[in-house]
Amino acid sequence: MYELTICHLYPDLLNLYGDRGNIIALTKRCEWRGIQVRVKQVSLNDPFRPDEFDILFIGGGQDYEQSIIQDDLQKGKRDAVREAVESGRVILAVCGGLQLLGRYYRTHDGKDIECIGAVDLWTHGGQERLIGNLVFECEFLKNEHFDGLVAGFENHSGKTWLGPGVKPMGRVLKGFGLNGEDGFEGAIYRNTYCTYTHGSLLPKNPALTDHLITLALRNRYPGFESLEPLNDAFESAARDAVIKRLMGKNSSR
Amino acid sequence: MLRFRAAILTAKLAIVILRLFRSGGTSLPGKLAQRLYPQILDHLSGLFRITMITGTNGKTTTSRIVASMMEQKGLKVVANKSGANLASGITTTLISALTPGGRPRVTHALLETDEAAFRTMAPRLKPETVIVTNFFRDQLDRFGELHTTVNNVREGIAKIPGAVLILNADDSLCASLGRNVPNRVIYFGMKEGVYPEGNASINSDAAFCIQCKSRYEYSSVTFGHLGHFICPSCGYGRPHTHVECTGILSYDNLGSTIEVSGPDMDITVKLALPGLYNIYNALAGASFGLALGLDGNGITAALTGFECGFGRMETVHINDRELKMILVKNPTGFNQVLRYLLTQEEPCVTAFAINDRLADGTDISWLWDVDFEILALMDDRIRAYYVSGIRAEDMAVRLKYAGISPDRVILEKDYHQLIQKALQKTGAGETFYILPTYTAMLDIRKILKKRFGLKEFWQ
Ligand SMILES: [Zn+2]
Repeated sequence: MYELTICHLYPDLLNLYGDRGNIIALTKRCEWRGIQVRVKQVSLNDPFRPDEFDILFIGGGQDYEQSIIQDDLQKGKRDAVREAVESGRVILAVCGGLQLLGRYYRTHDGKDIECIGAVDLWTHGGQERLIGNLVFECEFLKNEHFDGLVAGFENHSGKTWLGPGVKPMGRVLKGFGLNGEDGFEGAIYRNTYCTYTHGSLLPKNPALTDHLITLALRNRYPGFESLEPLNDAFESAARDAVIKRLMGKNSSR
Repeated sequence: MLRFRAAILTAKLAIVILRLFRSGGTSLPGKLAQRLYPQILDHLSGLFRITMITGTNGKTTTSRIVASMMEQKGLKVVANKSGANLASGITTTLISALTPGGRPRVTHALLETDEAAFRTMAPRLKPETVIVTNFFRDQLDRFGELHTTVNNVREGIAKIPGAVLILNADDSLCASLGRNVPNRVIYFGMKEGVYPEGNASINSDAAFCIQCKSRYEYSSVTFGHLGHFICPSCGYGRPHTHVECTGILSYDNLGSTIEVSGPDMDITVKLALPGLYNIYNALAGASFGLALGLDGNGITAALTGFECGFGRMETVHINDRELKMILVKNPTGFNQVLRYLLTQEEPCVTAFAINDRLADGTDISWLWDVDFEILALMDDRIRAYYVSGIRAEDMAVRLKYAGISPDRVILEKDYHQLIQKALQKTGAGETFYILPTYTAMLDIRKILKKRFGLKEFWQ
């Protein structure tokens, strides 16, 4: 029997936009296949080691909560997160989590806030909010049965740019994405996936969820090949509804 | 003065015309008046003794309880309809309470105000009393961050030092509004341990001290972040209350019997308002009653004679069956509605109608912060789960991942069909619960009005 440990970092502080949904999706899709899952919550002052989980989730928080974790993260957990990223652990970082993993966040009045520098990306705060539903196309998810489209919702004022070693997750078809300028959304570095698509990202995009679970199982069980498929009728309907609406077909409004 | 008269007359004409066309438009007359006379609100507010009600949840019910207190005291009052809580809607409301000559027909005004608009509205309305119900995370795409909302209200209060503040002591965010201000403050809350069930949620909206960012310690929790909190590092804690619920004698899906204590007051009240929420709303109302000079008997009478559903619940009777519609708009409110459903012992049918228009919040990811998992406790009593609204598909996914079997979840986007099919599934004497977001509620209500004679909520 397969087992996975999912770690939710600062679940009581970085839990802004239904981030819990991503943990629920990972857990359920494992359980439905008989994979045993343990969810570990790690918050302020809790010890954190880079080898004690298979999947790490980092969500976004409000400014107030983000300011609370700053010290704990920089002094207590930064090196462990960096090591986890470099060693190829599976990590999903959403919105504020994406920004935290980067090198720095420059506020719109020019102050640089040091981030943990685990991924070569950086963010400049803007004054307008990039907000709304979005659809982006991920090459790594495409196969003969799947178009690679991921649907979700973004709400951020920071604009993020990627360094040369980091690949975007996909090409934006509708919405803003990383910065609203270069047409890309998300970042991939080793097995770390960063995105501005929050809340119901994984529940509505089971192909991405299964991709992350597969990577985690391969890390832990080197012979592992692929997951058995599930009935995703509901998930596909929810994803397709957003895509249809944004791409202008059969708009329901 | 001439401009004031002209603005009043124009707005009144608009109100009459809108009524002729049976349109519920509540903001247009106010907008017209503002255009003709930009300072109209400041002028109008001088003509009434004003109470403002703000906060995330419970504004509407609290308004109605407060109105009942005023009636008990024999006062004449005008109140705004929920939904008309921005400047234009409030202007319309106040104008509607004037004679064509511009004289007020009532002495008091009771104005429910959007939290985001409070900062600018408070100094213009110059209220005598302000009631703040609570602060919870709500439609971040519209309101922004929770601390910003709290600080907006704080800035508004700083401009009205003479107003009496009625604040929820159990809410660390709300209670903080009463610190270091010259205002007279009346705090209400639940006595420690009165409600034994609660425990602090990992998804709390305010787990960390608003003063020093340390984690609060709780000796008792009612729901969300409400309870007896204390910051171990700076000492900020739940303030002493003036009006307190000291006992819950009974509690079911129709209401509760509670004991309330205050200065010279020890009463037992039977509330025809189900849900814990409404106990808080009743306490806010009782606090207002005390400030108004009512005694225990008067407050008891005002609370007892008061009947309305859970939060914003509306009931229609259709052939031996009951249809109950309860508005849902944010995670804490939704969780309370689900807990209320759990008190339902008979089989029932449920429908969730989720829209993502501007007034609902365009981001529906908050559904993942709602504890639908607790529905498992009554899964055997729910005959079917309907999902509807623009985001019906997302709601279906949410239920599936909450452990509800997908073959029990039925997608029906047409509200006529939804109501018809669901009522067919509802047995005689049973209830069909519809839980819609705001704009879905408006659409469904239109159908209920036409087909089943549902009355306007406020009347
Ligand atoms: Zn403190």
